[in-house]
Amino acid sequence: MSVALKRTFKGELALNDIVAKYPDVPRLVILKTDVQRRGIHYTERALSIVDPDMHQLRSPYLFGSRDGEIKPLPESLLLRDGTTILVDPTPLEQNPYLVDLVDGRLALVDDGEVIEFVKLWPKPKYYDLLTSSGIPMSHIASARPQRLNIFQSSYCHFWAEHKECRFCDIVNHTKQQKSELGVPVRLKPQDVSETIREALKEPGRFTNICLTAGSVLKGKELFDNEVEFYIETLQAIGENFATKKFPSELISSAFNERQLARLYEKTGLMSYTSDLEVLGEEKFNWICPGKAESVGYQEWKNRLVRAVDIFGRGNVGTGLVGGVELARPYGFISEDDALRSTLDEAESLAENGVTTFFIVWVPRPGSDFRGQENPSLEYFVRLASGLHELRARYGLSIDYNDYRRCGNHPDTDLSRLL
Amino acid sequence: MAAQLSKEQTALIADRETLKLLATTDESGTPHVVVKQSIHLAEDGNIHYLELLESSRTNHNLVRAIWFDRKVSIAIKGAGKQSFQIKGRPVEVHVTGPLFEKHYVEVRSLLGDVDLAGVWVIEPEEVIDENPEIRRRDEEARRPFFRHLDRLAKNNITDN
Repeated sequence: MSVALKRTFKGELALNDIVAKYPDVPRLVILKTDVQRRGIHYTERALSIVDPDMHQLRSPYLFGSRDGEIKPLPESLLLRDGTTILVDPTPLEQNPYLVDLVDGRLALVDDGEVIEFVKLWPKPKYYDLLTSSGIPMSHIASARPQRLNIFQSSYCHFWAEHKECRFCDIVNHTKQQKSELGVPVRLKPQDVSETIREALKEPGRFTNICLTAGSVLKGKELFDNEVEFYIETLQAIGENFATKKFPSELISSAFNERQLARLYEKTGLMSYTSDLEVLGEEKFNWICPGKAESVGYQEWKNRLVRAVDIFGRGNVGTGLVGGVELARPYGFISEDDALRSTLDEAESLAENGVTTFFIVWVPRPGSDFRGQENPSLEYFVRLASGLHELRARYGLSIDYNDYRRCGNHPDTDLSRLL
Repeated sequence: MAAQLSKEQTALIADRETLKLLATTDESGTPHVVVKQSIHLAEDGNIHYLELLESSRTNHNLVRAIWFDRKVSIAIKGAGKQSFQIKGRPVEVHVTGPLFEKHYVEVRSLLGDVDLAGVWVIEPEEVIDENPEIRRRDEEARRPFFRHLDRLAKNNITDN
């Protein structure tokens, strides 16, 4: 490792500058955003206090990390305001924050300065159990501090046609997880049902269940098979609840009205997300060629709007990989232009009851955009504020995907006060 | 630097009959004061408060306080004249983990089918004894001008 190779963020405002410049945005949310943007590196001292009986170690996930490795490191971090930081281990040459041991506590450290004390995620009890078919339950449902993730199928059919989204590494990561950990590529409903049953035995541990997977193009109509997989899985989950509906989110392809109505009527699903990934037709066509060719930008938006009639205002959203709109070589050159374009499009969705949120783009080694750099902290703070303000202006709640029921969106962290 | 509660104050806050009020402020600075009997003293000297509702005004105000470094006040009033106030800052909220789970189980066993949004940790910065007798004696000693003259007059002047 050479210091000269470290990413230096020259010309960008640093954390404290941004905190001072945006006094209406909480420092802890700005910090979370910067930690997600830059990544983390655990020191040996920090790892010495990790207890695999108490702390959740990295479990199977849909996407890979930016060091491209699968290691038994802590899953992630919690800030003292309850904000979750989902963040990957990151090579030191990319200049991540350090997670170090300071006075017996874990702390985020930058340039030798303690920035904030943090905690590790608690390990759920079901992580030690196997399903009746012998699969570790941690391979069936990945936990967050208050949410369960079911990655029902980790193969995306856009990859088969070499039309995958350019920021995405889902299939490369899936192959790695399968060969290194034996994680099943597709889950069986019975395994999911058994895992959820065990997870529910832990009082106060979870508030939401999120299902997501790669796109499945096959079926009588486009995505019909994907819809059937979800209905099967959601019904298996529903066996464990006394109520028909249970707090849940589906992140899937853009389904038509018939498919959405079936999902809503036949399962306990309460909210629906279909990710446009990047706003603006030109950027969408370049960055998401499979989505553009199969459904198209305008129709993807239309399907989101029609989903509002089924799931209700505040229960339909679209996710962005914030920052890819500035990727090379065809992205915006100016952060101001990128922000204006993105917020204008998000407003057109908000007017129709669809809420927009983002994750911080991390250029992953298994993706087409590997080796690129993500935008400035200021860009992400302005994007988070802008999306939050749209929700406030259009009276859109984000309860199904907030700091607690998701934890991966700086903008929905801000919407905690809506 | 965290302020310490006296033995008497510690006992008072632990008494089930004691009335406990939590004052927070909203975005515009307007106070919001509510009886919160779940307020209790933790082993490390911090105050813990169990918030049952994620969307309550108090919870939102506490989030604002931890985000923007605002203080909150707690008033404690015993059955007698014993009374004191704590001014402090929310420094953490437990939304998961062993402490959260412990209180989640306890609060549901006590109150039935309720939820728990968080266990707020408030670090006391100042403890003020609000016993009226003590406050009066203190003011008279420190601010001798703050008295009406008739209270100091000879008895034969004020006896009508």
